[in-house]
Amino acid sequence: MALPLPGAEWSSKDKPHQIGVRARSFVPSFTKTNNASSMTNDQILPKPSVDVLRKMSDEALITAFQSGDHDVYRFLVERHQERIRNLLFSIFHDSDFIDDLAQEVFIKAYQALPRFRFEASFYTWLYRIAVNKSRDELRKKKLRRFFSFQTLDEGIEQELNMRLSVPPENRDTQELVALGLQTLPEKFRTAVVLKDIDGLSYEEIAEVMQCELGTVKSRISRARSMLRKALKPLLEEVET
Amino acid sequence: MKKMNEQKMDHLLSQYVDGRLSEIEVQKVESFLALDTSARQRVKELRRLKDLLTSKRKLTPDIGFWTRFAVALEEQKKDEHSLLPFPRKFIPAMTVMAAAVVVVVGTLIIQNRMQFIQYFSEKSQAVREVYEKNVLQGQLLPLFSKVDKDRALQFSLFGTLALDDKSKTELRVDEQSKKGYRIEVGKDSKNKAKPMTFDHFLSEVKPTSEQKHLIDSLLELTGRRIESSVLIGENNTMAIAPDLPNLNRMMVTNIAACLEPNQRVQFERLLEANDAPYTVTAQSVPARKGDRIFQNIPQSPRDNRFFIITPDTMMYSQLHIDFDSLRRHMEENVVMFELRREAMLKRMIAKEFQHAPRNVPWPQPVQSFGNEEFFSVEINVPAEEIEQQQMRVIIQPRIRKQILQTASPSHSIQVRAWRDTASEGLTRQSQE
Repeated sequence: MALPLPGAEWSSKDKPHQIGVRARSFVPSFTKTNNASSMTNDQILPKPSVDVLRKMSDEALITAFQSGDHDVYRFLVERHQERIRNLLFSIFHDSDFIDDLAQEVFIKAYQALPRFRFEASFYTWLYRIAVNKSRDELRKKKLRRFFSFQTLDEGIEQELNMRLSVPPENRDTQELVALGLQTLPEKFRTAVVLKDIDGLSYEEIAEVMQCELGTVKSRISRARSMLRKALKPLLEEVET
Repeated sequence: MKKMNEQKMDHLLSQYVDGRLSEIEVQKVESFLALDTSARQRVKELRRLKDLLTSKRKLTPDIGFWTRFAVALEEQKKDEHSLLPFPRKFIPAMTVMAAAVVVVVGTLIIQNRMQFIQYFSEKSQAVREVYEKNVLQGQLLPLFSKVDKDRALQFSLFGTLALDDKSKTELRVDEQSKKGYRIEVGKDSKNKAKPMTFDHFLSEVKPTSEQKHLIDSLLELTGRRIESSVLIGENNTMAIAPDLPNLNRMMVTNIAACLEPNQRVQFERLLEANDAPYTVTAQSVPARKGDRIFQNIPQSPRDNRFFIITPDTMMYSQLHIDFDSLRRHMEENVVMFELRREAMLKRMIAKEFQHAPRNVPWPQPVQSFGNEEFFSVEINVPAEEIEQQQMRVIIQPRIRKQILQTASPSHSIQVRAWRDTASEGLTRQSQE
């Protein structure tokens, strides 16, 4: 099935009677059948417009997707792409790399969406995929570093210390925070990013990272402790 | 609270900053903070850190993300479609099925391994038996075997080779005309060649040890070529390599080529004295090196092609025979092979052969019968083909008058087998 490009509007004229929508609940039935004659006219409504689809909840769109209308996946992607891209950017701090990774996350989600059971919210489920993907990528990077005998972590720490040693007025706070995050081990980094940057609750983080609530608390406090030490000169500016 | 270690304090303060503590816990922490300056500083730093992280710069929205993603998704679908012969949702089921099949087949193989081993060993045994039965045990056997140096020299010089010491049957290759050849398989006491031994040749020509070694190798090669050029089959079949008539002239040429000019004169005298069908003409040409001589000699019948002569038809076809294994097998069962070959030859000579050959595009054969008591096969060879087969002219045929008188205008190879075996008591007739 061809996926519509941005700006391309769906209309009942383009695809007459291909997709039926039940009027009562306004949850699209999205049955696979194209045999409109098997339905009565009062059961079939024209496909909702793009605006309507954009306003539909994640759950309604997923229901439509699972019913066979894979075109609605576009709206799920558009809705969550910025959060996923920012999450990956916070973890990797590499804008060139995250675009491909975000695509892989959404492809993985597309493949797994037929098995989505509505036990968690879509975005925590999507975050879980993104976190797993980033974990795999960090492992690969670590392996590559091992075989190329590089010590990237040490390099980041040195760069961070160098940047912190300049006068406060010349510091790039955003860059320092990003570098500080890069010095953290993966599980601490992900936890603190999800909490403080993405604003997820402890419970949601436990769900995303698939671990106990106590573990999440511990990881966040340890991550903050490590960051506090790493960014000490920056944080002391408040006092001065 | 004061005794709390640093890690626990960090944990508690982190929870405090996030507002995750109960009212009682908050009161305890705040009372502790009122007393501890460093703890207050920590809380300030934590809040500052939290603010910094929360206000971390976001990426600018990417309006082209969906477009690129849609393309990537389509490519992914195509890849999956091309790789999987079934829908993706069946992957787990198919994996389980494949694993189950592997387990079942593996179990069956392991349980019945002895039967499998037996089956394959029987198969290989059967293949070996078929090969031995059809090729090694007599479907096709060399008419001549164990051609030693003396016999190879005799064949090279005179074109005559006795089947064995007792039998009077001979293979005769004669220069029929300037370009024609004749092969005869039969008995002919009239033209029986004078016996020639390698020692006699050595005493007359007196080659050096190097030349002797070279001629020795040439004769060994001749013997092997004769063995692999004339074959007889169980079902009244005879296979003859069409380049056999070239062999003796080629060998005489090569023997002459490796001799010095003065030795060549001695060699010519020896040929003349024994009424050999060849004469050495290029006596002044210097001796050639052994490696150059051997390069010119084909090791087996050209293209493995044979004239296959049966009572019903005659074919010009390829026969792929592993002569080395055949030779080894024959050496192990000498007596059996001798008896079988004798019987095959008798049966073949006694068989009626049809006149008209079939399925022979080249060379055009003419099969003819002299009379009821022998069969004769004559095969025309185009003149240009004979030219191609000719060696550098050192040796010329010593053309005899009687052959010139009977020479056919067409160039031909004749295979003649006489039906006058001793047991049948038939009168042998000569073509001449």
